[in-house]
Amino acid sequence: MTLALERVAPVHRSDTGGAPARRAIVRWTWRLFKREWPQQLLVLCLVTVAVAATIVGAAVATNTPLPANEGFGTAQDIATFSLPSRSFPSELATLRHRFGRAEVIEQAPLVLPGSVQTFQLRAESPHGTFSQPLLSLLSGAYPRRQDEVAVTAGVASAFRLRIGDRWRVGGQTRRVVGTVANPENLLDEFALVLPGAIAEPTHATVLFDAPRVSAASIGPTVRSVTHQAPPNVVNPESISLAGVTLGMLLIALVAVGGFAVLAQRRLRSIGMLESLGATDRHLRLTLRANGVIVGVAGAVLGVLSGFAAWSAYRPSLEQSSHHVIGELQLPVAVVVVSMGLAVLTTFLASGHPARQMTRRSVVAALSGRPAPPPRVHRTVVPGVVLLVGAFLLLTVSGGMIGGGMPELVLGLAALIAAMILLGPFFLSGVAELGRRAPVAVRLALRDLDRYRARSGPALAAVALGVLIAVVICVAASARYGNVLDYTGPNLASDQMIVYASSHASGAVMVKRGGPEQRGNSAKTAKAPPLAVVRKSVLGIAAALGTRDVVELLQVPVTLQRAAPGRNFTGPLYVATPSLLRAFGIKASQFSPSADILSMRPGLAGISGMHLLPSGPGPLHGPGPGGLAHPVIETVSALPSGTSAPNTVITEHAVHELQLSPTVSGWLVQAPATLSASQVASARQAAAALGLSIETKDDAPSGGQVISYATLFGIALALAVLAMTVGLLRSETAGDLRTLAATGAGSRTRRALTATTAGALALLGALLGTIGGYAGAVAWFSASTLNGGVSALANVPLRSLLFILVAMPLFAAAVGWLVAGRQPPVIAHQPME
Amino acid sequence: MALLEMHRVTKVYGEGASQVLAVRDIDLSVAAGDLLAVMGPSGSGKSTLLTIAGSLEDPTSGEVVIDGQLLSGMSRNDKARLRRRSVGYVFQDFNLLPGLTALENVSLPLELDGVRARRARELAAAALEELGLDERVAHFPDELSGGERQRVAIARATVGERHLLLADEPSGALDSASGEAVMRMVLAACRRGLGAVVVTHNAQLASWADRVVFIRDGRLVDQTAIPPSPESLLQQGSEP
Repeated sequence: MTLALERVAPVHRSDTGGAPARRAIVRWTWRLFKREWPQQLLVLCLVTVAVAATIVGAAVATNTPLPANEGFGTAQDIATFSLPSRSFPSELATLRHRFGRAEVIEQAPLVLPGSVQTFQLRAESPHGTFSQPLLSLLSGAYPRRQDEVAVTAGVASAFRLRIGDRWRVGGQTRRVVGTVANPENLLDEFALVLPGAIAEPTHATVLFDAPRVSAASIGPTVRSVTHQAPPNVVNPESISLAGVTLGMLLIALVAVGGFAVLAQRRLRSIGMLESLGATDRHLRLTLRANGVIVGVAGAVLGVLSGFAAWSAYRPSLEQSSHHVIGELQLPVAVVVVSMGLAVLTTFLASGHPARQMTRRSVVAALSGRPAPPPRVHRTVVPGVVLLVGAFLLLTVSGGMIGGGMPELVLGLAALIAAMILLGPFFLSGVAELGRRAPVAVRLALRDLDRYRARSGPALAAVALGVLIAVVICVAASARYGNVLDYTGPNLASDQMIVYASSHASGAVMVKRGGPEQRGNSAKTAKAPPLAVVRKSVLGIAAALGTRDVVELLQVPVTLQRAAPGRNFTGPLYVATPSLLRAFGIKASQFSPSADILSMRPGLAGISGMHLLPSGPGPLHGPGPGGLAHPVIETVSALPSGTSAPNTVITEHAVHELQLSPTVSGWLVQAPATLSASQVASARQAAAALGLSIETKDDAPSGGQVISYATLFGIALALAVLAMTVGLLRSETAGDLRTLAATGAGSRTRRALTATTAGALALLGALLGTIGGYAGAVAWFSASTLNGGVSALANVPLRSLLFILVAMPLFAAAVGWLVAGRQPPVIAHQPME
Repeated sequence: MALLEMHRVTKVYGEGASQVLAVRDIDLSVAAGDLLAVMGPSGSGKSTLLTIAGSLEDPTSGEVVIDGQLLSGMSRNDKARLRRRSVGYVFQDFNLLPGLTALENVSLPLELDGVRARRARELAAAALEELGLDERVAHFPDELSGGERQRVAIARATVGERHLLLADEPSGALDSASGEAVMRMVLAACRRGLGAVVVTHNAQLASWADRVVFIRDGRLVDQTAIPPSPESLLQQGSEP
């Protein structure tokens, strides 16, 4: 063989290699990504989930409310007229003269005998320029003749109609020719006839376009679509984008660690590339291009997953939001921005490891030896400075009315940065503590310190997950532990309150021994007598399979605390004998002089409480009709729901204050969880009598919030550990080979991995908990509204035990279990 | 004109008690067409000398001139450009980039220097064909034998306009037949006008060189212009 190489023709070439060099680097990076993507799975998954969740969340948030142009079709303006009206024809003519096309929709009420439900008979063109989006044909055909009608599913069901039936409606017999719906409002139930086919319409809607003319200037009954949407600057898109930005910030922190590990794994290849003449910019490009590739892959997968989830969920949302939602009715801006943020996040996250990578000498890179860890004091000092800064910022934020959002965000950012910088100090400390430990434990702890470049970001990521969980747990404990401003689910799933008026404030006054009398002026004039209402409520309860109904009485007083901070919230029902009996409370269980009974633990111990007459006025003292320092006793048998009678005023206090109770509602205790159809039937029955009902809402309990937060923190921390512990141990494959040669077996390997995982988990848990509590103490110390530092007395002990004890033990146990098999690197040196 | 000149080059690692003098006061010159072998025991400073000669490492003192360009004072990017255009490396453990085929590994230095991918691949294919690897161009490094990998590494080190070939134990991971084949290729490159420095333990392979220098404890202790035989080389290297 001879070497006779063709020389490259001398051409003008860029000193940095230009586009061909960049293409070559990106091609190599892409090849490596295809080979090594499982090592980047965590970052990829996090980005994918964040983008998918943003898309689904934003789509649900933007599509749940009725469209802003609901009822307008494609028109910009609507005028409504009561009919019959002599002026209507001339006014319609004026509208047509001024603005051109104007489409008329005439309507008349359609009554189902024996039902409270109302429907509409509607004369509307299905092919109108403006009205076309207000109609869709589900089956059959639109009416084409005066004696034809199409009906919605609700009308068909209520009147038991099928296509082909003959139905007398609107004064004439018509043939049912089709089933229709209003895509913009699926609750809109009507029967559709041709325009002009209603003999006696009661009102008319005119759709038209009046560009650059204010609706008010046209007429008092004219509305414009531009004024339909509420001027809400914090719209669902903004909230979604704020959420994804915050999420991506957290992902970036995890990604920095992931890319640092990746940079170390590729160190020898980077050295080879540099020996071939790659510049620093080329070297940085290898990791930055990888960051972009991960971001793009995550964004694309996120969009696909998000779209799949949206497609699956869209029909359910249509049912619950009562309007048709298009498959592609997605907030495009949110989709595009979240994809862009995903790429930007991973690109920026790869920047620091990329810069670090180019600071190594070629020879050191070719050797593949990890960089010596930076001296600990270099990170401790800025870490402590940032911690102090975070403390100050959070204190300022806590003391500000309205929350001081910029200070809060900056404070949290400083806190997270402080934790990242303090991580190496903890790693060195634990290595020092393990000096006298058995050899495997000692070696594992020392390796954590030796390979701080990798274990540091891993520790920061674990600590960050724990920090988020601890902050949520602590804040939730403080908030849910506030016995004055009581928070939580309103009722149990088997409870229902029927309110005496469709407005919860409405009430029916009960005069002892006297005739019943309405307490609510104009509206109650038409309301049925209380005896009839009671009977109806018992009927509603019977339909739910129960007779367990407690009448809820209220008096016009409120419980207030004359001190800064949150004040008492919630209804104050009267502790009638029937109410006490319903909850199994005997008169002997509380003092005869007690004024207030409450299940809220700690309420009895709060000083400065007053019973004040309700209504506007200063809260400086009890004044006339009030009572200072009422006797409050804790009775745990009362129900815990925020709408339920968790706090009641005794008849003794009612008598003392000479108050007249009013019936405000009835608490119905069902034998089992209420079904949606039971709730719907009860609501319908209550509405027929002008009553309203309340059932369990979606508000989570404090325990649920804390449990979810704990699970989230632990899951994130364990995911980070799963990604990093294997890599950290693979760094020390040489040591493992030496250990194997000296006779160490699976027990040693297990101890090494278990110690690495357990120690990282424990350090992360400690660092995150300390950081979380430091932040919470700073914020609460200045927040008098939230009760100051004393609000933190309610410690979420169970969650902290899970995080500080169970999570490290679990991590160590998994490490022990998975490390039993001898890794192939012991027998064979892996080829680079 | 000399392709490589080293004047009183010294390299010190570490500080204080842990200080190690890896190379001291080395003077060396390699002209176009020269094949220089560097021999010496382990830890004598041979590899350090080669990394300094190839601008991968800076000397603590002394001067290195490649292709008439003084390395001291050059920026990292200027050194990188010099490596792309003038210096080719061959390592004992091949150092081929995983994820790139043989062809792409060879064309990479050209692409890094701004040669368009198609032209770079044509040149790389020609280089591989010259070394008898025309049927292995599409294979990845882990699909090639040790000898094939080293041939790819030589093709990568010599492709383009480079004049100086630096090889660190190029046959260290190969059997004797493959080792000799590698030396034959290096010699052929020198006959075409390249200057080459080969670090080796193997006296048999060093006997292929035009000149052999011996290093011990970082010092250049002896050199011979025309090596008489492998046995005499071994004897020369072991004398104090």
